Amino acid sequence: MERQILAYRRENGKVGVRNYILLITVDDISNAVVEAVEKAVAGTLAIPHPYGRLQFGKDLELLFKTLIGTGSNPNVAAAIVVGIEPKWATIVAEGIAKTKKPVEAFWVEGSGQIKTIEKVTRVAVKLVEDATNLRREPVDISELMISLKCGESDTTSGLGANKVVGRFTERFLSIGGTVLFGETTELTGAEHIVASRFKDQKEREKFLKFFEEYQQLVKSQGVDLLGSQPTEGNIAGGLSTIEEKALGNIQKIGNAMIDGALDYAEPPKGKGLYFMNTSSAAAEAVTLFAAAGAVIHLFPTGQGNPIGNPIVPVVKITANPKTAVNMSEHIDVDVSAVLRGEMDLDQAADVLWKRVIETANGRMVKAEILNHKEFVLTKLYPSA
Amino acid sequence: MLGFLVHKDGDDVGVAVVDLKKGETARGRTLESNTEYEIDVQQDIPLGHKIALRDIEQGEKVKEYGEIIGVATKKIMKGEHVHVHNIRSLRWG
Repeated sequence: MERQILAYRRENGKVGVRNYILLITVDDISNAVVEAVEKAVAGTLAIPHPYGRLQFGKDLELLFKTLIGTGSNPNVAAAIVVGIEPKWATIVAEGIAKTKKPVEAFWVEGSGQIKTIEKVTRVAVKLVEDATNLRREPVDISELMISLKCGESDTTSGLGANKVVGRFTERFLSIGGTVLFGETTELTGAEHIVASRFKDQKEREKFLKFFEEYQQLVKSQGVDLLGSQPTEGNIAGGLSTIEEKALGNIQKIGNAMIDGALDYAEPPKGKGLYFMNTSSAAAEAVTLFAAAGAVIHLFPTGQGNPIGNPIVPVVKITANPKTAVNMSEHIDVDVSAVLRGEMDLDQAADVLWKRVIETANGRMVKAEILNHKEFVLTKLYPSA
Repeated sequence: MLGFLVHKDGDDVGVAVVDLKKGETARGRTLESNTEYEIDVQQDIPLGHKIALRDIEQGEKVKEYGEIIGVATKKIMKGEHVHVHNIRSLRWG
């Protein structure tokens, strides 16, 4: 099993596989600035979003945590933070500065958009020059943090793609890697299995609390999630109930034991396998994993799903032979041979392992090639 | 040619790995064990959809992955298509 990759060692010792100069907005009304700078300066990446005004309490904390986490991700070489007002922009920039990577904050108030664009542009030019002078170095693959989330699942996910990822996960954990998984809602019907895998009673209780809170939220809204769970695509693919979907979902962690339970965007304290409280909406979950430090995401799919992330390569794996052909521009790893009985799970995990090594070394995944940069913040409740 | 796969011994359903046609005899096996099945297909079952491995009575719980995935809302005959028209969740809906 090949273990050495060429990757970027950041100032805080963490390892990244991409080298972005990130233009972060604190709020929706500053999007125009980062979008203008992205056009003006090659090598920069803007991540506009629709929130950041009049958020408060836990919801505001999560906004800061996600923006700071995204800027702190090891795939980011340097960051520029832009907001309307100085206070929040400074909070985000100071949070990112704890990683010791270059970061600067700007605000539109006081000088206007055009002058702000000019200031940000001049700094961006310098940061790009410096970042492109950084070199990849040999690193053991176990230093990476990898996240897992499937989407547009069907029964071939639970039978093939998720099981292959599960085998990969067992191997990656055995050499000391770090893995995040989540999807609180989509564990319904398999939560007893997840709960039984926690090594530590306190962490198990934390998980069950996240799970129960979500069940209560569903009940309090008086809604029936049937129809949205399983989704129309899931049902077309043969999935019948949420239990079946959940049992297929958890194949992604194989038979591994779980080290801890994390809240939204919370970085794990050590190595190992961690559950994170997340939505099951693909872009939202991947954004939260990336904010916790994941640098590669493994995404098994049955019916095919185009989702990407601005800073994290999202590797698509399918075992559905029709999807592998009909949606080939979205699929990075075809393991449909598992369904035909022509390849066992270990052989398929070898194929995935090789692609993860290549991705870490810089090979672009389909979601990157097709320009998928979904940055989706999780919003807990309405703004003031 | 393999027609369907079964997650665990004792499961009530298998998953079609090719499009199964009414009237054919489909061969299947359990993943990670050598248990083999031969079932007469009663209805067209698309790839990824489930086939009943035994007769299931209305109200009986249905097993896949060695776990309960729902309950039969009507009698299901061996070889029939098992989907949202004849099973439902015990959790939601």
